[in-house]
Amino acid sequence: MIHWIDQLLNKPLRALLILLGISAVFFVTMRNNSRMETDLDKYMPQNHPAFIYSNQAEDWFDIKDGIIIALENPQGIYHPTTLRKVKDLTRKLQKMPEIEKNDVTSLYTADNIVGTEDGLDVKSFYRRVPESDEALNNLREKVRANEMVYGRLVSRDETVTIIIARVGDDTFSQEFYHRLKALVKEYEGPEKVYIAGRPIVEGTMAYLGPKDMKRMVPIVIGVIILVLYLVLRNVRSTLLTLLVVVFSVIWTFGLMALLEVPIYAVSTMIPVMLIAIGVADGIHLFSHLYLFLKENPQATKKEAVVDMIREMWRPVVMTSVTTAVGFVSLVTSQVYPIKYFGLFTAFGVLVAMLFSLVFIPAGIMLLGLPRPHKKIEDVDEDREADLFAHKFAEGIARKKWITFLAVHAVVLFSIIGMNRVWINSSFLEKFEKDSEIVQTDRFINSHFGGTNTLNVILEGDEEDTFKQPAVLTEMVRMQEAVQHQLPVVGNSFSLGDYLKRMNKVMHADSARYERIPDSQNLIAQYLLLYEMSGDPENLWQVVTEDYQKANITFQLKSDNSRALKKAIAVIESFRPRFEEQGIQINYAGSGYKALVFTDLILEGQITSLLLSLVIVIALLALMFRSFTVGLIGAVPIILTAMISFGVMGLLNIPLSTTTALISSIAVGIGIDYAVHFIERYRIYARQTESKVETIKLTMHHSGRAIIFNALVVIAGFLVLLFSVFPPNRVLGALVSLNMFTSFLGTITIMFLLLYVTNMYFKTPKETIINKEDKS
Amino acid sequence: MKIFKFVMGMLIMGWFALDGMAQQPLTAMQIMEKVYNRPDGNEMEARLSMILINSRGNQRVREIKQYIKDFGDVEKRIMFFLKPADVRNTAFMNWSYKHSDKDDDQWIYLPALKKIKRISSDSKGDYFMGSDFTYDDLGDRKPEEDRHRILREEVLDGESCYVIESIPLESDYMYSRTVTWIVKDKWIGLKKEFYDEDGDHLKTLRIKKYEKIKGYWIILETEMHNVQKNHTTIMRLSDVQIDAGIPANIFTERMMRRGMR
Repeated sequence: MIHWIDQLLNKPLRALLILLGISAVFFVTMRNNSRMETDLDKYMPQNHPAFIYSNQAEDWFDIKDGIIIALENPQGIYHPTTLRKVKDLTRKLQKMPEIEKNDVTSLYTADNIVGTEDGLDVKSFYRRVPESDEALNNLREKVRANEMVYGRLVSRDETVTIIIARVGDDTFSQEFYHRLKALVKEYEGPEKVYIAGRPIVEGTMAYLGPKDMKRMVPIVIGVIILVLYLVLRNVRSTLLTLLVVVFSVIWTFGLMALLEVPIYAVSTMIPVMLIAIGVADGIHLFSHLYLFLKENPQATKKEAVVDMIREMWRPVVMTSVTTAVGFVSLVTSQVYPIKYFGLFTAFGVLVAMLFSLVFIPAGIMLLGLPRPHKKIEDVDEDREADLFAHKFAEGIARKKWITFLAVHAVVLFSIIGMNRVWINSSFLEKFEKDSEIVQTDRFINSHFGGTNTLNVILEGDEEDTFKQPAVLTEMVRMQEAVQHQLPVVGNSFSLGDYLKRMNKVMHADSARYERIPDSQNLIAQYLLLYEMSGDPENLWQVVTEDYQKANITFQLKSDNSRALKKAIAVIESFRPRFEEQGIQINYAGSGYKALVFTDLILEGQITSLLLSLVIVIALLALMFRSFTVGLIGAVPIILTAMISFGVMGLLNIPLSTTTALISSIAVGIGIDYAVHFIERYRIYARQTESKVETIKLTMHHSGRAIIFNALVVIAGFLVLLFSVFPPNRVLGALVSLNMFTSFLGTITIMFLLLYVTNMYFKTPKETIINKEDKS
Repeated sequence: MKIFKFVMGMLIMGWFALDGMAQQPLTAMQIMEKVYNRPDGNEMEARLSMILINSRGNQRVREIKQYIKDFGDVEKRIMFFLKPADVRNTAFMNWSYKHSDKDDDQWIYLPALKKIKRISSDSKGDYFMGSDFTYDDLGDRKPEEDRHRILREEVLDGESCYVIESIPLESDYMYSRTVTWIVKDKWIGLKKEFYDEDGDHLKTLRIKKYEKIKGYWIILETEMHNVQKNHTTIMRLSDVQIDAGIPANIFTERMMRRGMR
């Protein structure tokens, strides 16, 4: 150990150059090989049964997400210019390479199945744009008479009409998104043109989120530098501490690039974690160094650094290793991006440790001892702060009931809040309520069935199941039940709708016949007729060619998880009746996949959080050779996590992938604070053998560093509250909250528990034996 | 003397004509006309198996009895479904008018409904009974509707063929071009490739089997493969009878109702 330190301190330049050299290599790989993963399907575990099924069903029925373009004309859409725009826009969309011709549906392309006195016609609503009043009225009547179009493609008040362009998950790109928006803009005025649908929401999010982050991150880092400087009062220490973070981020992303692991959306949380955790080591090291220099003003550079390493390497290594192990526990997640997040954050934490123990000492040797700039008043201030810390510690120790009561109250509220925590896989609700995208969505939802879809897949045990009148009638009944019971479900579409329409049309448009025919032969003959006269491609979106599987599409006015789950609950109530007929129910579509995916992430997050807690307690117990200390050390972590979830529940912030991951910070930061604090407490307890002195000194040494660390990170992340993108605001608030509760928990309840258990004031052996006897 | 002049004239003309034949190869248009005008009888009665194969390899089979008769101005076709059982006796009748722009008349009889309905379709681009054939692919497209060009000559399935590219004169036709392999002397299009509006390969038609029946080359099995959707339709004829005398009253609504007994 000493040899190693000697080597380092005698040849600091060599160590620095080696580290910088490796950093340069990682930096270059990061620059050249990093790849963002934008295909959301790649995020999902492909071997999970729900995803396997959904992907299969998407293939059977060609299920895709729809981009919805709405044209609004307050004077009514039956106007030549509006109808021309529908036609032109439809044709432009059909010509886009990302969109298949058949995947564009509008009044211009829709099939009009009509009955006449002596027959059936499958026609288009218009080819040439109608100009005369008579022709326009004629079109209006045709639309009104067709329930497959009226209210679906044309709003019932006849002021809005939509064009739906279905696109595959893999075809959507940023470039396509911008091209699409530009195309739609060309048709603006006097008609208003809106664009919505899941691909647009996802596209806007993928565009806005990072754009906002690019703007905010420099400010965050600026504030962190500023506060770091105010705390350390020295340019060199600030620079060295900051570089530890920067290099750990570069190494981490460099390694990801080297191993060809793409950057996922959650990977953007890695720098967040590394900033919060990485600055801690530096602050603790410099804090110790300053104290040493204050007590030994005549010490040489080498003496000071040697003391710093000797005294601090243990807590730094302990904190880093425990934090890393805590993050590694995320590999239990079924979701690859989360696994990678855990592994690479752990790596980053260890790199930060390496840099703290090598780069900072080497830097000090090379640049000279940092002497904090202090004015005379500052010394007083310092003394005042010390006085406050002492008083605070004494107060906590004397009025124990306040802390205990507060903790109980906080735990109680957190439990109430935690029960209210709900998971939301919604994309739309991540946006500002008055943002353009939310308003557009609301507008279209108020005129049509809904911008979001849930696909229900029914699977029979034999061919031609979906030609049976009983099965089809049950299917239609389920559609009606869901639509009737849930206002959020605006519409649904299935094979039943085709048959109802055909039956009506074949009976001279009599509304009495708008139902499923009673005979299987007639159903088969209608279907044959449709295949012969219409576009069978449309039919294969609701049923497979062997009539063994059917797809019902429900349209929802929200992509909120609660809405989806309610619809699923009503559908599930039909399961027994379908099972009697040998039919299985399953679900598909991107909305459903997002729902399952979010559940998976959280399930994984909660188990790995519990797992990491167990590991952390075990490691702490091992390091401090006391199970009680392990438990005490875990208290701030548990409290931080509880408060984090509790506040989310109370403030109605839904859990999502990012907000769930923030709870990992609780582990990372909680351990740091606990280890530093307990380590100092132990050392001072040995040195002074006086409880009062120990608390004063510990507060002075560790308490100070902890408060500095919390201040720096909180100040930095509070900047995100000014972000224009709500998820980034939530991120800033929650990281700050977690830092604050970790800090407060450490210096109050954890400290108090150390105090009341008389830890380190008997021989450690006795303590262990006593505790083990009790338990 | 008059007769002599006439005979001489004929001989000279004939000699020139023969000479022209020998020296000048057929133009693309002439080849296409030969295919279009290849006689195949006025009447056909046959059993048609339509096999639809989707991209997953699932097959659906329809058995149909069909009668076709050429009445000069109008070609009439009537089809009775034999299988699957739930559509048995569903009848479909089509009258196609050859020398006018009039749309085809189409009727369908649904036995479960006991009603005949007229059906009509907007365009000839519609697919025939959910198969990969459009009505246009089934009907003979008139050679003068396209501009033809001989690309090359090559041997296909042991037959020496002309390979002819046809580009429609009409600008918004469903195909941007087709390429046909035509067997020399038999004037049968052995293979045809269809290219969509964007010029991408859409479908390939292959003649799998043809026979000489009553002195006509009759195509007995064709396969249309949509390469973009990976969907295939096979049309197979059996029990073919040519010019065996189909009564005209078969092509009536009364017969549609009566069905195949």
